[in-house]
Amino acid sequence: MPDPLFDLPNLPDADVVVLAQQGREAAYRELIRRYERPVFSLVYRMVRDRETAEELAQDTFVKALNNIDRYSPEFKLSSWLFKIANNLAIDQLRKARLPTVSLSGAPGAATAAEIEATSFEVATHEPSALQALEAREIGSAIEQAIAKLRPEYRSCIIMRHVEGRSYEEIATTLDLPLGTVKTYIHRARNELRTALEGVDDG
Amino acid sequence: MTYRHLLPDEIDELLDGQVGFGVAPLEAHIRECAACRAEIEAGRRVVEAIEHLPRLSASPLFAERVMAKVDVYEPWHVAARDAVSTWVTRLTPRSRPMRVAAGAAGLSIAAVLSVACIWLGSHLDAVFFVGTIVRARLRDTLVEQAGAAVSAIFGPQSVGALRAGGPALLFAILATIAVLIVAAGLAVRLAVAAPGRTRRSGTS
Repeated sequence: MPDPLFDLPNLPDADVVVLAQQGREAAYRELIRRYERPVFSLVYRMVRDRETAEELAQDTFVKALNNIDRYSPEFKLSSWLFKIANNLAIDQLRKARLPTVSLSGAPGAATAAEIEATSFEVATHEPSALQALEAREIGSAIEQAIAKLRPEYRSCIIMRHVEGRSYEEIATTLDLPLGTVKTYIHRARNELRTALEGVDDG
Repeated sequence: MTYRHLLPDEIDELLDGQVGFGVAPLEAHIRECAACRAEIEAGRRVVEAIEHLPRLSASPLFAERVMAKVDVYEPWHVAARDAVSTWVTRLTPRSRPMRVAAGAAGLSIAAVLSVACIWLGSHLDAVFFVGTIVRARLRDTLVEQAGAAVSAIFGPQSVGALRAGGPALLFAILATIAVLIVAAGLAVRLAVAAPGRTRRSGTS
């Protein structure tokens, strides 16, 4: 019987996890190789600091791999990793108390009247010449705009459009109702659209 | 056809690329309504911008730093299987002719051992007789040599004391010597043990 370790890159996640649960170091490394970039990308866009993102991404994998025997195959491995990463990033943001404000009303606002009553407009400052030069590229503008989103919106929009996860998967990963995920993504798109309109006009 | 502007949920449906019979009327409306078409286009610009964001890489030493903090737990049966597999792999010749020759040699040895076992089985009484003689001679030689050693170390009277003490005394002395040897071996091993992370094996 051929050794499965020879064909690790082609094995599905579930099989690699089984090998990791058997203590195969190569399987651990394969899991890190597969999800290093998505996890780091998510965490970096949440905390916006490379050094912190590196530490949190490492903590994500350490936590996951040290508890690999508790992983349940009924959930996707990627969802499990993103959940750990997102929780660590949110905790970090809370510790740093980075202010993030939504333009789209208070979190508990459900009806249109409540949203309107709790929405507000932020007075924008004139960007410096350097900032205007940097913001001219749509990619960097969207990065800056994502950085200003509420953490919950940020997680949802990154998982939806960068990682390509379905609404249902995002809801499972973040332990949110499906309707809440849709609301967050809708609001995030609106805020990002407002930010990009400013770049397009300028 | 929809005679009103699209609702936010409907715009999201189109942006998410939903398919189904409910989508066709929405798309038909967009073709006719410039305002909703502008909304959709603006939304699509946002979605495309996000989807084209690069996946960022961590530092090159990321995996090593993670593995330095991870406890790789290998169950004992997996360690044993890996050890046997490694041993078999090392002994197996790489070239096909050598593998054939090794296989033939192995079969020959197995055949010879089988014949020897059959012969021994058919001559068991002779084997027992020879075994009894060899065991008696070995015991006498060992007792003689041990007596000479004890006499040289502790004096001629100690041999008599040992004989008087019987097997129990002899066993106690041998057990003490064995414990001292094991303790010395552990002490040497601890003294020369290298630091660093090693794989752990245990019950699963």
